[in-house]
Amino acid sequence: MKLSTYNFLTSMAIKGVKVGFPLKLTISKKEVVESEFNPTFVERILPKLDWSAVYGAAQVAELTEDIPAVQPENIGENELLLQKLHHLLFEIDVLEGQLECPETGRVFPITDGIPNMLLNEDEV
Amino acid sequence: MHVEEKQQKVNNAKKADKKQRRCLAIIKSDCEVSPSDDPTTYLAILNVGLSNGLTEECLLQAAASTAGKVTQVFMLPGKSYCFLVCATVEDSERIYLGMHNISTIGQKGAVAYLSYVKELPALAGKSEWDRPLPGGLLVISDFVNEEEESTLLKAIAEDGRTSEGSGTLKHRNVKHFGFEFLYGSNNVDSSKPLEQSIPSACDILWPRLESTASTWDWSTPDQLTVNEYEPGHGIPPHVDTHSAFLDPILSLSLQSDVVMDFRRGEEHVQVKLPRRSLLIMSGEARYDWTHGIRPKHIDVVPSGSGGLTTQCRGNRTSLTFRRLRRGPCNCSYPTLCDTRQTKVPQELTASLAAQAVTLEQQNVHAVYDKIADHFSETRHTPWPQVAEFLDSFDPQSLVLDIGCGNGKYLGCNPLLLAIGCDRAQGLLAVGRRKGQNVFRCDCLSVPVRSSSIDGCISIAVIHHLATTERRLAALQEMARVLRPGGRALVYVWAKDQRKNDKKSAYLRQNKAVNKERTTEQQQRQKQQQELEQQLPNNTPLPVHTNRTEFQQQDVLVPWKTKDEQKTTYLRYYHVFEEQELEHLVSQLPEVKLIKSYYDQGNHCVIFEKISKVSL
Repeated sequence: MKLSTYNFLTSMAIKGVKVGFPLKLTISKKEVVESEFNPTFVERILPKLDWSAVYGAAQVAELTEDIPAVQPENIGENELLLQKLHHLLFEIDVLEGQLECPETGRVFPITDGIPNMLLNEDEV
Repeated sequence: MHVEEKQQKVNNAKKADKKQRRCLAIIKSDCEVSPSDDPTTYLAILNVGLSNGLTEECLLQAAASTAGKVTQVFMLPGKSYCFLVCATVEDSERIYLGMHNISTIGQKGAVAYLSYVKELPALAGKSEWDRPLPGGLLVISDFVNEEEESTLLKAIAEDGRTSEGSGTLKHRNVKHFGFEFLYGSNNVDSSKPLEQSIPSACDILWPRLESTASTWDWSTPDQLTVNEYEPGHGIPPHVDTHSAFLDPILSLSLQSDVVMDFRRGEEHVQVKLPRRSLLIMSGEARYDWTHGIRPKHIDVVPSGSGGLTTQCRGNRTSLTFRRLRRGPCNCSYPTLCDTRQTKVPQELTASLAAQAVTLEQQNVHAVYDKIADHFSETRHTPWPQVAEFLDSFDPQSLVLDIGCGNGKYLGCNPLLLAIGCDRAQGLLAVGRRKGQNVFRCDCLSVPVRSSSIDGCISIAVIHHLATTERRLAALQEMARVLRPGGRALVYVWAKDQRKNDKKSAYLRQNKAVNKERTTEQQQRQKQQQELEQQLPNNTPLPVHTNRTEFQQQDVLVPWKTKDEQKTTYLRYYHVFEEQELEHLVSQLPEVKLIKSYYDQGNHCVIFEKISKVSL
């Protein structure tokens, strides 16, 4: 699972959960898959992302120093940051780990790079 | 000159030897009959037989001209050779010397080659002609005389409605009286009688029928279909639609004899329909057997001596008389009964609702998990109109594929950020191996932030949901995750696999039916028998026959694995009626329908999330 995908996942479908976002990410195994850096692509994707989850992911991925807690303005002019975001969002691939619902503690395992977000019949 | 003639004779003899050897090798491998160098009482005619139109009469005549005495003729169906049993070895020698490389009884006057053989082939099994007729079948010879025959032909030549859509009937000419038989639906429209009713010339038949076959509970026919067959024409095996016509069905053969094939599963009975005879199909023969005529120029029929011989077909006109049923069929032969197969009992809807989750679990999720790899191999080419939709987004748009399967659409447009989800772990693993962004979830609870997605596709997914409410809920989820102004494309399988009389790709791949070697009906029948052996009897829903028209909306569609076991898995589908998908979309408050279309057997919609819900 790329951390760009992580940015969209929520546990709000669980009965009683109000927001379910961001999910608490734990990484037990990851790899870096290099991909071509396209500053425009990163810049245009950013408005669709939730910065708190971008920042959160950076912390878990031990890249805290790279990503500021608050989204800076005019990010398009900061190519170095765009490159770091590219690395964080599109190059780090979580192979094993888990996502945890912030409200109920329900755990969704990530196995072989695929998060299992399937809920049981009685959870929805 | 003399030398040339001699040379020609030598060449001719060489050719005959070569031909002899080749034919004998075929016969040896075919039926274990060996040639004999010394004369025997058994002679094989090596290159002429029933399959190339030899008649017993013609063969006996040729033999008689040699003054050799024949005691028996053995002609085998479908074979281009045959055998003679001679009274003595001397008779046999006379015939051999008089006919081999001399008699011109072959096709188009070709010369026949003969050989002595050591024995006759062991005739395997009983001939198809010895089998009992299907129950309820009767052929009454000389039902009309020659004078009446020409009166009837004249009467039908004058009027009647020529069948429309003659493209489907390229092998024969058809006319209708009383009601038009519609070949698209295999039915009649009882509300639209034709101006021209059955010609009064036919009235001579009914009193005759009453006195001959008084045991039938029948009414005077009100529909007549006239078929004109030239030699080489035929009609694929079929059963007259149960719900369209009552029992019995009558068919009068005029101008030429023909052989009709009756089949029920593996059973096969040939019936000779002589010129001017009446065929009556009732009960089992009407409801449970298919009938058809093979497209041939020559029929193989029983000979006067009890063997087989051939008979050339002439132009033949058949008059099929039927009476409209005007209601569902009440027969006790379910296999070929359209009423039985299309009836969706009230309880079904209720039981689907109660068992939706279990049904989807067993007949969708579990199946896809088992067939994932094989299924994935068959899903590689993106459908052009789906790819077009994906190309319509601005670069760097975020697109979610709900029910992405093996992820074949995720890499379609590399300028997008595409994420896919599916229930089937096996399929997700295939996409993941290709480096795609995937996660596992149910399409009824998509774990994605609301209003976060620019585009959504869901291709061939929600037809796996067992109730209207669940299908609607899945669409609602798509609407929820879309940002205002975001668009979704949804494909579902259509019940109707034809549009403007054109078959979908799905039907077009049914080669046997398209070449008129069989019918959908017969394929259904065959599958039913196969399934009975493989599966528990009480499947919760009717099982669809692949590459045929859907008979009902909620069905189980078989998937046969490619491995040696050829295991059949049944996938649940709800195939959509026209406008059904649009109707669902219209119930979503926050979307508007942009476009709906039909694409290769699928109903498709594009909808957009509106910016503000108007109150």
